[in-house]
Amino acid sequence: MNLDYLWGGFAVALTTQNLLIGLVGCFLGTMIGALPAIGPINGIALLLPIAYTMGLPPESTMILLAAVYCGAEYGGRISSILLNVPGDAGAVMTALDGYPMAKQGRAGEALAISGLSSFVGGVIGTIALALFAPILSSLAIGFGPAEYFVLMIFALATLGSMVGNQPVKTLMGCVLGLMLATIGLDATSGAYRFTFGEPELGEGIEFVVLVIGLFSISEALIILENQSAGVSAIRKLGRMVARLDDLRRCVMPTLRGSAIGFVIGVLPGTGASVASAISYTTEKRVSDREGTFGKGDVRGLAAPEAANNATACGAFVPMLTLGVPGSGTTAVMLGALMLYNIQPGPLLMSEHPEMVGGLVASLFIGNVFLLALNLPLVNLFARVLTIPNWLLVPGILVLSVVGVYSTNASALSLYLMLAIGMAGWLLRKLGFDMAPIILGFVLGDVMEINMRNALAISGGDVSIFFKSWISLVLWGLAITVAVLPFMLGWRAKRIGRSADARS
Amino acid sequence: MADSTSNGRTAGRIGAAALLILALVFGLGGATIDYAFASDPLGPRVFPVVLASALAVLALLYWRSPGVAETFPRGSHLLRTLAVPSLVLLSALLLDPAGFPVSVFVLTAGVAWIFGAPPRLALLSGAGHALLWWVVFVRLLSVYLPVGWLFA
Repeated sequence: MNLDYLWGGFAVALTTQNLLIGLVGCFLGTMIGALPAIGPINGIALLLPIAYTMGLPPESTMILLAAVYCGAEYGGRISSILLNVPGDAGAVMTALDGYPMAKQGRAGEALAISGLSSFVGGVIGTIALALFAPILSSLAIGFGPAEYFVLMIFALATLGSMVGNQPVKTLMGCVLGLMLATIGLDATSGAYRFTFGEPELGEGIEFVVLVIGLFSISEALIILENQSAGVSAIRKLGRMVARLDDLRRCVMPTLRGSAIGFVIGVLPGTGASVASAISYTTEKRVSDREGTFGKGDVRGLAAPEAANNATACGAFVPMLTLGVPGSGTTAVMLGALMLYNIQPGPLLMSEHPEMVGGLVASLFIGNVFLLALNLPLVNLFARVLTIPNWLLVPGILVLSVVGVYSTNASALSLYLMLAIGMAGWLLRKLGFDMAPIILGFVLGDVMEINMRNALAISGGDVSIFFKSWISLVLWGLAITVAVLPFMLGWRAKRIGRSADARS
Repeated sequence: MADSTSNGRTAGRIGAAALLILALVFGLGGATIDYAFASDPLGPRVFPVVLASALAVLALLYWRSPGVAETFPRGSHLLRTLAVPSLVLLSALLLDPAGFPVSVFVLTAGVAWIFGAPPRLALLSGAGHALLWWVVFVRLLSVYLPVGWLFA
């Protein structure tokens, strides 16, 4: 297995500038993750345009964004444990046992254990990423336009079946994202599509405008609505060192959580929330003989925390090897690569080994930084929870306005951001998830170009999408992941009906 | 707050109808795209039409079972919610003529007040934000931002 890219990557990640960027990213990411409702996507969405405007090279930008991503996965646990309000979706399961531990006066122990299991999950996930990315990348080099198009179908099918509990809304989100991607000049025919005669729209909707509108503006409105009194953080952290016996009990849950998290992270479209939920329920099934899960069991805390950090690393695999994001956050990072005119996909590792290697190496270094920051500085991060919304939200809005304006100094971008933000807020109120829209938007161009190229090669014969074994395997997988949840739901209903009939 | 009652269903159905209309408009717009040359059998029209059709089918499915929607704000809550994007719009309008510090002051002081800060604290917060972000972006990060007539 060729791991040369990784050694080169360490040379990139260990430069003074990139080390500093990684450290700042880890610190900011932990703070962002600690703030309830401000997840990794929001943090990355806000920082991306600033990093781009500052003229950072692509590898440094990716290192910064990856550090923020992993930092937010670490930080999410702080508000889960101290407030019983998850910092982001991946930390929902952490609250189940973390908050009861905090109420028992063991908040410090809960933070220490979850910090350590986050570290193990992050390191195992990064090792797996370093090992598996080259294999998948070399496999993916055999992909032609037809296989690539079917891969996109697989990614969308996976997303539709695994994100949220309303697949129709998830698929609609994907289609809306794909529709937004069609706006602008069609490169093949030179036709303007949906630009309404506005020259600025000729290049399409800027990725930064979309992502900040959807995640930042709509988030501010959601925070305003959720602003409720009565939730106060647990102030007494207690001892900050984990007991040896607890650490021993956490070894297997952490390893299982890491494995589950990485595998789920690799699947396109699934995120840390799915991974931590599956890891928690698996652990409960395997270990909870005394019925202590949900009442402050350290194993119920360690497993989902390891899982959500391993997921973040797993999500980089499809992003770096296939150009298909593994999560909403990596979808934003994929968009960041496109801002630098770097085409993600199977050739990314061979064309930009320094960037891929630098990113993977920075994840190793970042996890060490995060452990070093999180254990001694947890008190400082816990203080973030006391920032009032009237100070925090205006700051988020300023970052949004500057981020969008600084990319092209255009007021139209600000109006577009606002319109997208309002539409995003309405969709969120209706129960739509924003990540599928971003995924659809990022995949839109690639999907259409590959579909049209494949049909141009075959002279319009659609059987090209079913000719190679890769396409057939991908169709099989796509159909399986699309149909499986409906089959399982139907089976559960049938079992429920027969149980009702018996009683 | 999640709302699975008839109100939630009505909101879902209004959303489904809006998305269906969007699909029709987008499909019609896609079908009438003007182009002189395309080097592939599909051209620039087919993909948008396929997407519009997919959205229309999904919107009909959504109409059939709208699922759960959140409660929409009413009365003063709605006013407060609409005031935030209005302030962002105002700050966007002010950015070029009045400059970044003024625009940020208006945005942050207004939003702080909406989020419950007392007026004096909101004004102080606005001034603090304007100064802080000016130093961070313009002085430290060298990001181009307009100064406007006040500081020109």
